[in-house]
Amino acid sequence: MNTLLVKSLFLLAWFYFIGLVNAQEMPPSEQRAVPKDYAENYAFTDPEERKVFLKLTKELRCPKCQNQNIADSDAMIAHDMRRKVYELMQEGNNEKQVIDFMKVRYGDFVHYQPPVTGATIWLWLVPILFVLGMMTLFIFRRKPPQDISMDEKLAKADEILNKID
Amino acid sequence: MKRLLWFLLPLFLFLLVTVFLFKGLYSDPHERDSMALERHFPPFKLPDLMDDQISHTNDIFDGQMTLVNVWGVWCITCAVELPYLTQLSEEGYRFVGLYYDQDLDPDFGEKTISRVRTEVVDMLGRFGDPFEFNIFDVYRDTSLDLGVTGAPETFLVDHKGVIRVHHLGDVNERVWNGKFLPIVKTIENELAEERIN
Repeated sequence: MNTLLVKSLFLLAWFYFIGLVNAQEMPPSEQRAVPKDYAENYAFTDPEERKVFLKLTKELRCPKCQNQNIADSDAMIAHDMRRKVYELMQEGNNEKQVIDFMKVRYGDFVHYQPPVTGATIWLWLVPILFVLGMMTLFIFRRKPPQDISMDEKLAKADEILNKID
Repeated sequence: MKRLLWFLLPLFLFLLVTVFLFKGLYSDPHERDSMALERHFPPFKLPDLMDDQISHTNDIFDGQMTLVNVWGVWCITCAVELPYLTQLSEEGYRFVGLYYDQDLDPDFGEKTISRVRTEVVDMLGRFGDPFEFNIFDVYRDTSLDLGVTGAPETFLVDHKGVIRVHHLGDVNERVWNGKFLPIVKTIENELAEERIN
């Protein structure tokens, strides 16, 4: 019990020491590398704008980390892109303009909605063609050959019976 | 005939899937076409990393071929490529650093500019200093305009300020000889022709 008290006191002293060291390394008067107003505190007065911001950060894809949107990712580039989206929106850019801004820099990759082009059209066409193909196959499938009619079967059975008699 | 078809069809499908998957083994999911290529270096006006009284603009590209290296002291791959870049700079290639700091990373905390400078001097002293000077991309806006996703990245900018090569990851001998050198030769030829005219 006593040792625990000593230990925690020692720990406290150690934290205090670390704190002192940090304070010496960074005197508050010194110029910071990056200004204070840099924090990611995105405020919107208009709730509609807030919705657009959330939608955009969901739809824009982080170019560094595969398969994460910029709202989800903690990569530095995602931080920067969120900040840029906010800045662009504050400057009065609409949703499309923000997406275009990012596309100019990071390509179509950056948006989760691929544009329809000669290469990407197949993303929509292939499933449709598959369904249509399967349907035609189903409809025009050759019917199994019709069995010999019941009369013929009966005649054959009679024949066999006659033979036994 | 029908039997043969039923035998060949699965075989054909199997081969198709095999080729597709085999190709996937050697594809790099991070590889993408750069949007910066054949475009002018985005306009910027940024302070020098070591002295904020000096500011740099696109004029730095005028009349000479420049390699812009995006780097930071926090970046380990940068430390790996620095000796090779230094070797290239000793061969006469001009390198300019675009300093990309990771101030947002909680592990690194908030840095003061003098602390950054000390670390930069320390790192360049240890691994080699290929840079004529370093541009401090304070808010990383220029990096965003360039389509930078991380460090290191290297851009080859020609004498007219047009980006000719954009490379993600470290520059080593293989990358230099394969990706940079052919374009470097082309630009050198263009420069020589312009001098004659």
